Amino acid sequence: MKPILLENLYIKVNKNNLDQKLRYNDGGNVHMDFHGATNTTIEFIINKYGIDTMNDIFKKVGNDVYKDIKDHIKKGNIKMLAKHWQHFFDRENADYNISINDEEIILTVNRCTAYEHVRKLVGNVSPNFCDQTIKTNEALAEDTPYEIKTEILGEAACRQTIRKRA
Amino acid sequence: MIPSDHFTRFYNEVFKFLEDQGEEHLEAYWLEISKNQEKHTLELFKEKGLKGMYEYWDHIRIEENCDMDLKLDDEKLELRMNVCPSLSKVLDNDAEPMKRYCDHCAGWIGPLIDKVDHHLVYDVIDRNKPQCVVKIFKDKEKAIEEEKNAKLLMGWPKKKK
Repeated sequence: MKPILLENLYIKVNKNNLDQKLRYNDGGNVHMDFHGATNTTIEFIINKYGIDTMNDIFKKVGNDVYKDIKDHIKKGNIKMLAKHWQHFFDRENADYNISINDEEIILTVNRCTAYEHVRKLVGNVSPNFCDQTIKTNEALAEDTPYEIKTEILGEAACRQTIRKRA
Repeated sequence: MIPSDHFTRFYNEVFKFLEDQGEEHLEAYWLEISKNQEKHTLELFKEKGLKGMYEYWDHIRIEENCDMDLKLDDEKLELRMNVCPSLSKVLDNDAEPMKRYCDHCAGWIGPLIDKVDHHLVYDVIDRNKPQCVVKIFKDKEKAIEEEKNAKLLMGWPKKKK
């Protein structure tokens, strides 16, 4: 089990309260070099077409590729997003924790292995590398009763919070 | 983070945008990916030739969970992809797959193989099925002969004639 942030009103994440089937439930080996290709792609698209185009592509990822998670969020089931985070941050061996209650889920990434892998591969990570998270999250929450806020806490660290819109 | 497991679905969205801009936009992107791949393959391919290519794709076979057979002899390297995880994920997708998704593979591998003076024959067979056969020859004439057997032969930007 991952380290947890356990506060008064929060319950820890474990297999019992996140026992839902993911639409994309990858297993097997993990090819971290794909993050290098993502970094190359971000640089290529922004240099050639501008940042709005890159953001539009991330928006499509949030709306279309992750349609299933978005549908769950629309229905108020935000735990599916937590399940997604847990599955894939575990697979990528990130240092993270998730706190969860009925109204809000907070993912804190202390060490993002995607960011670190790109830094190791190419040296300079695109300043827009984390937009993949920020913009995809925004699209996931768009037209749902929830908002997802992504705060960059430093290099390879962020906090992502999903909660009901005020 | 878009998980590395989902990179191909992100890739698919990028391809659809670029295809709408025109063929030269797609090709420019494939060349950029090819250049990126050079960083960890060009020296290996130059130094070890077919053996270096075998080493690279054997590593990919494991790390990308490919159902792929690799065969190396003195004249050529043959990769027989029985189940391609990349296209499989793009087809198993809530977003629309790009119709020519497979084309990107020859699009980045072809220019790289040209650079190391070997000769690629890329038979996608059927763009809707996650399988293909890739043969890389030392000898140009043998590659040209093999092209005649391909069911759906792929080209790539600035392919050597």
